Amino acid sequence: MAPSAAPAQVPVTVLTGYLGAGKTTLLNRILSEQHGKKYAVIVNEFGELGVDNDLVVNADEEVFEMNNGCICCTVRGDLIRIIEGLMKRKDKFDGILVETTGLADPGPVAQTFFTDDDVKARTRLDAIVTVVDAKHFLGQLEQGDEAEEQVAFADVILLNKTDLVSEDDLAKVEAKITSINRYARIHRTQKSKIELDAILDKGAFDLKRILEFEPDFLHHGHDHDHGDEVASLSFSSDRPVDPDKFQKWMGALLQLRGQDILRSKGILAIDGAPRRYVFQGVHMMMDADWGTPWKEGEKRSSKLVFIGRSLDAENLKRGFEDCLK
Amino acid sequence: MSKIDLGNPEWRSRLPSSRAVAADAPAAACAFSRDGKTVAFALGDGRVRLLPADVTEVAGAAPESAHKGAVLSLIADPMGDGFLSGGDDGRLLRIAPDGGTTEIVNQKGKWIDKLAAHRSNGTFAASVGKMAVVVDKAGEVREFGPHPSTVAAIDFSKDGSRIAAAHYGGITVWSIGQVTLPPRKLGWQGSHVALKWSTDGKFIATGTQENDIHVWRVAQSSDMRMQGYPAKVKSLSWSADARWLYTSAQPVFTAWPFAGKGPEGKPPLQFGDEGAGLITVVAAHPAAEFVVGGYDSGELQLGDIKTRRSAVLKMADGAAVSCLAWSPDGFALAAGNDNGDLLVIDLRR
Repeated sequence: MAPSAAPAQVPVTVLTGYLGAGKTTLLNRILSEQHGKKYAVIVNEFGELGVDNDLVVNADEEVFEMNNGCICCTVRGDLIRIIEGLMKRKDKFDGILVETTGLADPGPVAQTFFTDDDVKARTRLDAIVTVVDAKHFLGQLEQGDEAEEQVAFADVILLNKTDLVSEDDLAKVEAKITSINRYARIHRTQKSKIELDAILDKGAFDLKRILEFEPDFLHHGHDHDHGDEVASLSFSSDRPVDPDKFQKWMGALLQLRGQDILRSKGILAIDGAPRRYVFQGVHMMMDADWGTPWKEGEKRSSKLVFIGRSLDAENLKRGFEDCLK
Repeated sequence: MSKIDLGNPEWRSRLPSSRAVAADAPAAACAFSRDGKTVAFALGDGRVRLLPADVTEVAGAAPESAHKGAVLSLIADPMGDGFLSGGDDGRLLRIAPDGGTTEIVNQKGKWIDKLAAHRSNGTFAASVGKMAVVVDKAGEVREFGPHPSTVAAIDFSKDGSRIAAAHYGGITVWSIGQVTLPPRKLGWQGSHVALKWSTDGKFIATGTQENDIHVWRVAQSSDMRMQGYPAKVKSLSWSADARWLYTSAQPVFTAWPFAGKGPEGKPPLQFGDEGAGLITVVAAHPAAEFVVGGYDSGELQLGDIKTRRSAVLKMADGAAVSCLAWSPDGFALAAGNDNGDLLVIDLRR
């Protein structure tokens, strides 16, 4: 093949949040502010946006099961089609924003970026941003799994409408969010007001940036049995990882428990390898690559994070330890 | 008829005359007009670029923008010597040979990304969201659907009495005559992203999200599945005699044999030169045994399935071929790529 400059991958930000949390307000803000950037916005309710912009695309959330025998492998068919279409435009974008409906499971959107080769070639999933309604979040948790899963998937959380609750209640909501997902960065906001560089082009899914992005990555995670609720678990070790054993364990684990494991990430010190091995997963899908090299004399440790439902901490710990040399 | 002779060293040694135009916007589709005199390219900046098919003729000025966003689909107008174009601005336009436009559909917020026409009855069809919109020669607009998902591809039966639409979960066949009949659903799990009805009307082939091909025998409703492609098969083309189904997503020409009992249990016929990448677009000659393939590297190859010979028509340049079209007489080709390089090739030597 003739050499050619690889087309730059456009960063995609997925915007989730329960009904009424403030997603549309945030989108209107992004579209109307003078930031000198050009975004394509994929929305599910055309009429709700106050700004008329020809880069706003109306999408019906078309969740497709992949016909490959993997029960939780679902993708957003409309997104595949729309991204392919957007790439036919002459004008290029600084980013693409995908708004999901208030009751949407973020899984299929995220998995689209792991599954479809054309989408992977042209775009990269940058971050999942979840807007949380500070006043109604705890109540929404009782309504079904959606509010909880939207927080579980998040890389960045806008804890919005903070002016409508007391500081005590806010602390309770924040504690609840952290118990579900201790690795997302939380920004307190009112009327979805936030600096755009806090939510856009974060590189949260960039495998090479997992380390910088997770300030408290090293902390040990779990404390008690969370039962059916979504929780985060993390494990770490200073012993080198056996790559074959790890592949086998992780492969089987995601195959078996992929429906309950919403997000997984890790940085591994593979026995004898000069570079970090980094991975990032959504349900059963996983992407892995070699990250930055270990420095001379640097302590080589491995870290593993799971965010999911009904996670068996003991079992996961044992599984991970069996992969160590 | 064949002045195209891949076995003739003299034919091979001479470069075809061609016209190259840099349009500076990705080409989504191209087509020759019915009279073969004009070539049109659908561009990512909203323009439909018209060029004389005769490569020695001076090209006129580029017409004004036709659509507001990107032009996503383009076919020859079955009712004249112009074209039909669909865009991400939700508009379907009729374009006269002089570039003048008439709006036929305007549905803001929807994309018109697939168009198909019947070769002789003047009817055409467009995908508009979950609906298939059919416009007959009298200009009457009728909608078919909704389908289970956005219509991903659409095509006419040989006799023009039916259309087939590809979507999630299979395809739907509609009778488009004046008598409304219930649609026929031919199911196969997963999302179907490309569709071509065979030139003899007996088969409907689709490309799927899972890199497979699915083919239904229309009369029997029996179906078959071809696996093993490394990428989605987005381009399908039936040979004029319906003996072969050509597919993209392979490093060489790949043709499934549909003569006799069909392709069950047989491997596809493969020929041509490897090493140019993967074929992104494939187009069978309108009458003879030739086929043209465009690669993700930009290379163009012409193949002859009878002799299994091939010749390079254009060298790789790094920009994936995005569209191909044969002239009605089969002596000229149009090709476009992701960079907006537009090419018209005259194969008469």
